[in-house]
Amino acid sequence: MKQQSSGSLNNVLLSVRGVSKQFGLNIVLKGIDLDVSAGEVLALIGGNGAGKSTLMKIIMGIYQPDEGSLSVAGEQITTFKPSVSLAKGIYMVPQEPMLFPNMTVEENIIIGFKEKAGELHKRLVKIMDDIGWHLDLDRKALSLSIAEQQLVEILRGLLREARILILDEPTSALTFDEVESLFKIVEDLKAKGIGIIYITHRLAEVFEISTHVAIMRDGIITLKGKTEEFTREMLVKGLLPPNMDDQDAKEAKGSDKQLDYSNKKPIFELKDYSGYGFENVNLSIYPGEILGVAGVVGAGRTELATTIFGREKVLGGKAILDGKDVTGLSTAEILKAGINYVPEDRRLNGLFGISDVACNTTSSLLGSPEMGKFFLNKKREQEITQKYIDDFRTKVTGQEQLAGSLSGGNQQKIIIGRALSTNPKLVILDEPTRGIDAAARGDVYSIIHKLKEEGVAVMLISSDMEEIVEMSDRAVVVFQGRIRGQLSKNEISQASLMAESFGVDKKESEGGEA
Amino acid sequence: MSYLKKILKARAMGSFLFLVLLFFLVGCVNSDFWQPISIMNCFNDSVVFTFLAAGIAFVILTGEIDVSIGAVLGMSSAVGATLLRDGSSWQVAVLAAVLVGALIGLVNGFGVSVLGIPSLIFTLGVNGVVRGLIYVYTGGAWVENLPADYTKFSNQLLIGSLTVFYAFAIVVVLAAHFILTKTRRGKYFIAVGDNISGATLVGIPTRQTKIMAYVLCGVFAAVAGMIYTSRIGFITPTAGNNYEMKAIAACVLGGISLTGGQGSVIGAAIGAIIMSSISRILVFLGFSSDYDNTITGIMLITIVVVTTVMQNRAVIKTKHEILRARTAGSRGAQTEQAATEKGGSV
Amino acid sequence: MDRSVSAKIKKWFTSWEAVMLGILLLEIVIFAAKNSKFLMPRVFLGSINDIISICIISLFVTFVMITGGIDIQAGSIVGLTSIVVGVGWQDGGLNIWAAAGLAIVVAALCGAMSGFFVAYCNVQPMVVTLGGSFLFTGIALLVSNMSATESYKGISGFPDSFIKLSKFKLFGVLPSQVLVFLALAVVAYILLHKTKYGRKIFMIGVNQNAAEYSGINTRLIIMSTYVLSAMSAAVAGIVLTSYLGTAKSDLGSTLTLPIITAVVLGGTLSTGGKGSVVGTALAAVVIGILKFGLPLCFKVSQQYLDIPVGLLLLIVVIGRALAANPKVSTWLRGKQKK
Repeated sequence: MKQQSSGSLNNVLLSVRGVSKQFGLNIVLKGIDLDVSAGEVLALIGGNGAGKSTLMKIIMGIYQPDEGSLSVAGEQITTFKPSVSLAKGIYMVPQEPMLFPNMTVEENIIIGFKEKAGELHKRLVKIMDDIGWHLDLDRKALSLSIAEQQLVEILRGLLREARILILDEPTSALTFDEVESLFKIVEDLKAKGIGIIYITHRLAEVFEISTHVAIMRDGIITLKGKTEEFTREMLVKGLLPPNMDDQDAKEAKGSDKQLDYSNKKPIFELKDYSGYGFENVNLSIYPGEILGVAGVVGAGRTELATTIFGREKVLGGKAILDGKDVTGLSTAEILKAGINYVPEDRRLNGLFGISDVACNTTSSLLGSPEMGKFFLNKKREQEITQKYIDDFRTKVTGQEQLAGSLSGGNQQKIIIGRALSTNPKLVILDEPTRGIDAAARGDVYSIIHKLKEEGVAVMLISSDMEEIVEMSDRAVVVFQGRIRGQLSKNEISQASLMAESFGVDKKESEGGEA
Repeated sequence: MSYLKKILKARAMGSFLFLVLLFFLVGCVNSDFWQPISIMNCFNDSVVFTFLAAGIAFVILTGEIDVSIGAVLGMSSAVGATLLRDGSSWQVAVLAAVLVGALIGLVNGFGVSVLGIPSLIFTLGVNGVVRGLIYVYTGGAWVENLPADYTKFSNQLLIGSLTVFYAFAIVVVLAAHFILTKTRRGKYFIAVGDNISGATLVGIPTRQTKIMAYVLCGVFAAVAGMIYTSRIGFITPTAGNNYEMKAIAACVLGGISLTGGQGSVIGAAIGAIIMSSISRILVFLGFSSDYDNTITGIMLITIVVVTTVMQNRAVIKTKHEILRARTAGSRGAQTEQAATEKGGSV
Repeated sequence: MDRSVSAKIKKWFTSWEAVMLGILLLEIVIFAAKNSKFLMPRVFLGSINDIISICIISLFVTFVMITGGIDIQAGSIVGLTSIVVGVGWQDGGLNIWAAAGLAIVVAALCGAMSGFFVAYCNVQPMVVTLGGSFLFTGIALLVSNMSATESYKGISGFPDSFIKLSKFKLFGVLPSQVLVFLALAVVAYILLHKTKYGRKIFMIGVNQNAAEYSGINTRLIIMSTYVLSAMSAAVAGIVLTSYLGTAKSDLGSTLTLPIITAVVLGGTLSTGGKGSVVGTALAAVVIGILKFGLPLCFKVSQQYLDIPVGLLLLIVVIGRALAANPKVSTWLRGKQKK
């Protein structure tokens, strides 16, 4: 692999040399070297926990590196403060835009500037004209869509005359059309000679807009160079841990058998089911089946799951569990009926961080008499908690350990344990392996396989296409709130899933891949 | 034109209209109320709360709270009044009181912003200590026999029946409003309360901003204390007891959100007028002023419940609209598919 | 088994309750050394009425604060309860016990109203209960105006049975107020730490969303904590009325800040999710003894007592904030190793 592309050496904007960072005992960055030149779009890829966001926070001056140096356009940075980095022309558009919701768009953009408001207004209008965006400057930020909020963030960066723009997973919350317009903007900025660091999880985007690519894994950069020198396969290999190939093969074997659907009745059915974010969904799940639900983020999969789980209003249609109508029941009633859900956002909706492992495991059972009628049956609680710790090989110091102090993988095991504690007939897993390490991922997969053997129906929502391919007996793809494709075991492939997820016809996508 | 629109949209506008409506309705029942002098007296009497509410508004706008301002008022006025009684000039007395207020504000700001202690709890502790210190300082006795020059000052009229104090309050509130909305550093207060991590990201010094808010709050409470001294003419060790709650209530009535980032100092001043006019209004309506707290409580609860429910509804509605737009997009997308495919197949 | 018990004991000794107990013992030792009168039960327990309301109410305000809320209206409910008992009995012609029952129901309704706005309308608890404190103080005054007796005098002349309530002493030593406090502390302890209801309160405070996803009816439970704290304020109001022999509408108006102080000092996290009845009870007693011992043993004037209480709160929260600071905690650990 070529380490440096010779063409951009003369115009290096940002240069990172040997940066290391450690939090407590956790070494997050181990000697990072990275360059960004004018007019370059550097795609930075890496799984959760690879150290991307820590590196970006160091570049933004929010953290101070333990070792190594940082220079902008040849000038060494000595003090690490957001205000210094901003003054040097670095601007980061965070994954979740951080606007001031109660201020207008204009106030949001010009806050923190020393210049007069009138002058800034003129410059802002000129920038918008140059790029050809039209945004009502008097609107309050809270009324903007996520895509518009990102535009505001980018405008902030441009008005600051940022020379280096960091985009942190900018498409993760965007609709398909919005992604298209964002790409056009990136092209414009590239042409203006701005250096862009583009953080993403999506390989397709790398080839679509980046000029250079770097892959991070476990705090080091494993691969970097011009995008055109790489193929998809090479990038995937760079993302995987060195000995991941064997494990993949093993997992695949376990689920290779075709499920026997003869004389089986679906345990759960949706009929013309509609809610906020999805419409007219029809699907059925059989006992002992893993139904993969693919689609891009924002396609409406999580909304579908949370509506089934009684968190949102049902707008039409029916949900039937084991012959019983469960449409529009409350979460407590749904739990009793036999559905449980592992939420997508573990921190926000799943984890009780400052509670111990036992409390976390049994919280779904507080509504059932199993944990006692009025008094809390502590003995039963211990038994249940221990069962799931043993079954899932969860690494804890004891049942009293606080859940927040566990690693992501172990937290997820506890929440899956909670979902199983109510003995559900259907378990909905929403991105169950997001942000957990490879070993824990393997454990989660074997838990899912065991569930399948026990005859539990599993709805597996995942943005990780490989996961869907490996695990599912059948898969559906959600595209803009509707079920677009139903694929049987032998039809499921990354290519077919990808094509359906992006609303592309099969023929077309096969043509594109070849 | 757009400026007029902005004024009409401001949260304080609702409170202002409420105040006008209130005065109008009271006048309908008893037309004596419509005389300039009785309206003016509503304004003049609100001067102490205007300063307290405007000061605490800085803190509330940054998303924090300060329950020590009643004690700050008591302490600074005790210090100022003692100096006056012992023959100091009023300038020295006011300066000393302001220093006391600023110092306590600094302590509050340090505890909340540097040590990171929840503001309600820290200022609660400071409140207890300062309340006790008032007794230590005054020996539990009243501070009396203040020079008549100083106490007379509260009756001094500027124009018509507008007192000098209230004229001063108007100037200060307008200046504070200008600073908060028009100056670069002034805008930081609202930005910090609106979204603190966003503020850090654009390079706003969030800690200093919060400390500054507490210092200003202390200074405003001290000024309120000196005006209180002039109006009442003596200081008891319990001066300003429970005033913090009334000042917070005035801010809420004036459209300031306790979560921070929303509202204005002008709103706080209007809220202070509403708060302090209620008992006067009750008299004009022929009710006993015993209804004062009941009416305040009902007004406070009604206003916050209605605005919160309306806001939450709006947020949920926007969320649903965004989600609906996504599914609606799929209907449109099918017809536009040819176009998107062109872009996708490059 | 032995090991887990000893581990539990060890854990308890490093807990916040143990720190509070240490402070309590320290207080007793210092005060007793200075003035032996301090240890005489008659003197010691005789002063209980000054703090009994704080002790009783803070037990249940702990529940509210564990859910992540705050209750600054409890003090105003004490006055409302007192005057409802008085007016109900004197002017309404009710039996005194029926009047007390009525007062508890009225308080529960007040708590339910505020709880409803907090839980079901998502209004900030601080604002709702601030409004509530104005409203209930006001209503108390209006109720007292309904009476033939002028409000500043208060209503007195209650039947003996009611007055005796506060004059009774178990074994001739333990006043009934202390018994009420101990009984309520046991009830609160069991409710919060031994039942499913208590567990739900904690889970809501730690993460309300996750609690919703666990099928917990978070709104109903949040509302119920406000009802409980209002009812405890009613009990405190009745006890206080019985002791004073007079029903007044402005009783309890200065209680708000000491109650919150006791709850926070007792180790309850103001952001919710953590706290204990034992901690709150110990903290309330610590404050009580401080307020009783300082004047008795050190001749500190009654009026200065806000200073030590405020200082105690500040020292505790600053100490906790510093201990949570990574730099300080690593320094502390390093020192322990040596």
